[in-house]
Amino acid sequence: MNTQEFAPQQQDKDYGLVEVMGRSTPMVNKGPEGTLPSWPYLFVWEALLFLGVSAMLLVMSILIDAPLREAANPNLTENPAKAPWYFLNLQELLLHMNPSLAGVIVPTAVLAFLMSIPYLDRNLSDIGIWFASRKGKLITIWSTIYTVPLLVGLILFDQYIRVRSLISEPELIPGWLIPMAVMGLLSAGLYAVVRPFRPNTREVLVAYFTGFVVTFFVLTIASTFFRGLGMNLTLPWNLPPGALSF
Amino acid sequence: MISRLRQQLRQLPEQVLQSNIWRSIFRQGYPDNDENRSLVVMNSVFLHFHPVKVKTNTLRPAYTLGLGIMSLFLFLILIFTGGVLTFLYLPTIEQAYVFIQELHTSVPFGALMRNAHRWAAHLMVLAVFLHMMRVFYTGGYKHPREFNWVLGVILLVITFLLSFTGYLLPWDQLSFWAITVGTNIAGYTPFMGAEVRAFLLGSTTVGGEALLRFYVLHVVLLPALLIILLGVHFWRIRKDGGLSAPLPAEEVEK
Repeated sequence: MNTQEFAPQQQDKDYGLVEVMGRSTPMVNKGPEGTLPSWPYLFVWEALLFLGVSAMLLVMSILIDAPLREAANPNLTENPAKAPWYFLNLQELLLHMNPSLAGVIVPTAVLAFLMSIPYLDRNLSDIGIWFASRKGKLITIWSTIYTVPLLVGLILFDQYIRVRSLISEPELIPGWLIPMAVMGLLSAGLYAVVRPFRPNTREVLVAYFTGFVVTFFVLTIASTFFRGLGMNLTLPWNLPPGALSF
Repeated sequence: MISRLRQQLRQLPEQVLQSNIWRSIFRQGYPDNDENRSLVVMNSVFLHFHPVKVKTNTLRPAYTLGLGIMSLFLFLILIFTGGVLTFLYLPTIEQAYVFIQELHTSVPFGALMRNAHRWAAHLMVLAVFLHMMRVFYTGGYKHPREFNWVLGVILLVITFLLSFTGYLLPWDQLSFWAITVGTNIAGYTPFMGAEVRAFLLGSTTVGGEALLRFYVLHVVLLPALLIILLGVHFWRIRKDGGLSAPLPAEEVEK
């Protein structure tokens, strides 16, 4: 290669620094993985994204005002009193089990599960591939199909039949044992659903991560749009004014 | 005469690029060759977070969906809009609500700043969560990026906490009762729930102490923590060889 091409300011150079790669590549003038200079290819994307995000935010901020209710009044309880939307999934769980289990133990366990994922799945062959494989895609779809109706069914069951109306004493049974049994059965059921695919470790993790994400969104949506006065189930158009916690 | 002027104009960009002032700031000419394209990255504190060359896979919008960088941009916008709002806000139960009202009624662009801060906060929570989903479903957490995934989970939690602490600051009914509900959840921590809740609120109920605590957490401690861990997050991306990508075909066969 002519030095003129890559270092025009070094006119007196007639050599270049060459490194022998540990791998072969069929492509000429490219690194083993296929690379492009960050300038301009990466920076153009970043600049466009920044402009896009800023423009979208500006339009949104002009069109929609952030909510501001009456001044805080500790003597006047809001009904319903809702946490911010990303914690409403926990508040939804709170309706169905002992608060220590729903508000602290389950989220701690979920975070521990998330952090342990890379230490459970050590196989590098499918890195960088969406959903791992075609099988992984099917597992994602089936995990969603499995999780959504069961969650919706459980929410409806606990509203209209109520575990606590069937058995309320002692607290250990409706607050701890039944919810833990239900969560355990749901998890075992999820494994039973994906087992026929003969999944590897990553594909099992795909099933459980999908179960978590779907649960997160279903509970958040249920609690945000379908919980009205006294956190009872209602339809979005029947929500009392100010029930949306954005 | 005109043709001379035209000739001089044509030489102007090159003269600017060669000038002492330009060179003192940017050190190299316009990056239209490989040497300057490398130098422009290495000579700039802002660009040097990036590698000189990126994998083509990293540039595929369908691979990253741009979610990580979008989270960063939203965070930068939040620092800017939040900084402006801080000029106009005092965390006391007498004044906080009045300040927010004034933003909407008497401060030029006050409502715009507040709206942008609020919507960017919600969008950042969403973007960080979706970024986590992207990294999971593409297997980006795998070796050697295990710990960066753990850091990412921690960054998600900090993002939640930043949004949550900011939620109280307007001191209206929405924020008061949301934080009451939220801190009640923390109060269910086994064995030490009351202590955890009192530690968060500085009292047994949501009041002036809680407002001050949430304010300091929101504008100083949590952002500082997020910036530091974000620095580590980005540094590790570089040390681990950039974003994850599919292995070359010959390595998969092994």
